[in-house]
Amino acid sequence: MTLPKIDLSTRALITVKPSGKRRVALNRRPPRVTGALLAALCVVMLSPFVWMMMSVLKPTDVAFANPPVWAFQPSFDAFINLWETTYFSDYLINTVSVAVVSTVIALVIGIPAAYALSRFPSYVSALLLVLALIFRALPRFAVVLPMYDISRALGIYDTRFALAIALVAINQPFTIWLLRNFFAEIPRELDEAAMIDGCTRIGMLRRVMIPLMGPGILTAGIFVFLFAFQEYLTALVLTDTGSKTVPVFIATQLGQTLPLLQQAGAAAMLLTVPVFAIAFVAQKYLVAGLNDGAVKG
Amino acid sequence: MKTREFWLLFFPSLVVMGGLLVLPLIRTVQWSFEEVRYGTPGVFVGFSNYIEAFTDERFGKAVLSTVTITIVTTFLLLVFGYLIAVGVNRMTRSRPIILGIMLVSYVLPNIVGAVAFSWLFDDNFGGIVNRFIELLSGNQVLWFTDQVPNGILIIANTVWHLVPFAMLIILAGLQGVPVELREAANIDGANPLQMHINVIIPTIRGVLGFVTLISIMDVLRLFDNLIPLSPQAQAIGNESIMLYVYSVAFSNGAQRLGLGSAVNVLTILIILVMLIPFIRSIFKEAKVVR
Repeated sequence: MTLPKIDLSTRALITVKPSGKRRVALNRRPPRVTGALLAALCVVMLSPFVWMMMSVLKPTDVAFANPPVWAFQPSFDAFINLWETTYFSDYLINTVSVAVVSTVIALVIGIPAAYALSRFPSYVSALLLVLALIFRALPRFAVVLPMYDISRALGIYDTRFALAIALVAINQPFTIWLLRNFFAEIPRELDEAAMIDGCTRIGMLRRVMIPLMGPGILTAGIFVFLFAFQEYLTALVLTDTGSKTVPVFIATQLGQTLPLLQQAGAAAMLLTVPVFAIAFVAQKYLVAGLNDGAVKG
Repeated sequence: MKTREFWLLFFPSLVVMGGLLVLPLIRTVQWSFEEVRYGTPGVFVGFSNYIEAFTDERFGKAVLSTVTITIVTTFLLLVFGYLIAVGVNRMTRSRPIILGIMLVSYVLPNIVGAVAFSWLFDDNFGGIVNRFIELLSGNQVLWFTDQVPNGILIIANTVWHLVPFAMLIILAGLQGVPVELREAANIDGANPLQMHINVIIPTIRGVLGFVTLISIMDVLRLFDNLIPLSPQAQAIGNESIMLYVYSVAFSNGAQRLGLGSAVNVLTILIILVMLIPFIRSIFKEAKVVR
């Protein structure tokens, strides 16, 4: 017997419908054991955050006491200190503005490229997928150390723009690949119809394709934003004091003593809260993007 | 589409990727044959950086520990990713909540997750995991200064960070397994274990291969989470290849760019070799599809 081979084109993964799920669900009791195990798993997955939240909310003198203190009066001193005694607000502005700028640039130059690729023979796309894979797998330092050298020579070292454009380049193969998969699902007949009606390529892209691509562009945008927001290594090498980002700030606080550590924890919690929101609100797009462009982690 | 139009649309991305990915890569290859410092032109020294890397005991240790961590982590990711995906696949109404919670550790910056993780284990911070182990066994585990426990800690954190990704990809694969296939196996009298081993796993082997590949590539580049989890990585022998590059070529004013670049080139070569079977299957598929 030959089994149907699941091909690796990630598009196939996402477009396969959970066929006949209803039939299966009918003859099965509610999966209580599975549910309990998964609930336990969720607790384990969240435990580091819960623990960190507790450490941050404890009064400083007992924050890291051993044995741990369980009953305490929650205090927001760590957050207040973080805001008042460090440049956290600057780092936060740096992180967010780098992420926004790199998202905008990546989409503006990525959308036309992805569209062009989706309307070209598939071996070109296969080549792109291979390139996206290779660049994804690349040791980051192989690109970032020369970038550091070049940015110093050009005098743009430690600027937000240099970091943003570096992140655009590093993520661009993935961005294009993800967008291409969404474009490929829009029938080519639509292009032809618009062209017959007198649209130019660019006009058609702007008037017909981009409105149709809403969810695809949103998905790609969320991913590019998150990659920039998450990035530690690139920001570590390409920034100094002027455009430091929050992950780099948290890492430099680690070698410090207690009140500073608690501030690092507070900074980490402030990053975690919006991520929670994204994980729930934008879940549909995250899951679709991971499956459809499953090239990047 | 005309070729001219294609290049017009593709051009801006090409410039960015060419200028900021390809050129730096070429520079890395060039540096790997030079004795060079930042901001000054290098001197050609042939293969001596490569020879130095191969004879450096510290580099050997870094390779050994990175490869060990990669193999164990990949294996665990496949096992846990599969089990969790099977579980989540049975859930219908609670699925968005479970996926939302699982995604947090994956979407958060790796370094933030690792800091939170390290506090769970650190005795100095009243780490609760250690308290628990001491209560049960009476022994104190040195998570940060002992090689093997520290390795376990690194692996646990890496699995915690990447398992949502593995699970989601495998879940999509499970949803593509035809129901007819399960029913046929049921009629033939397969028990649940046989069903998984003989029917489902062979059907989604492509997906499992993909997860394996991504996981190997990701863990080989281990760097971010070692900063909080293994502050004494070099001393206890848990240094990763990327941490080695960082410390010879960048941190604290280090300037051994040639050596660092040679190690980068070697890592690229290893990764390319691993990608070859995968690349071939992509091209084969591209020919079949259209």
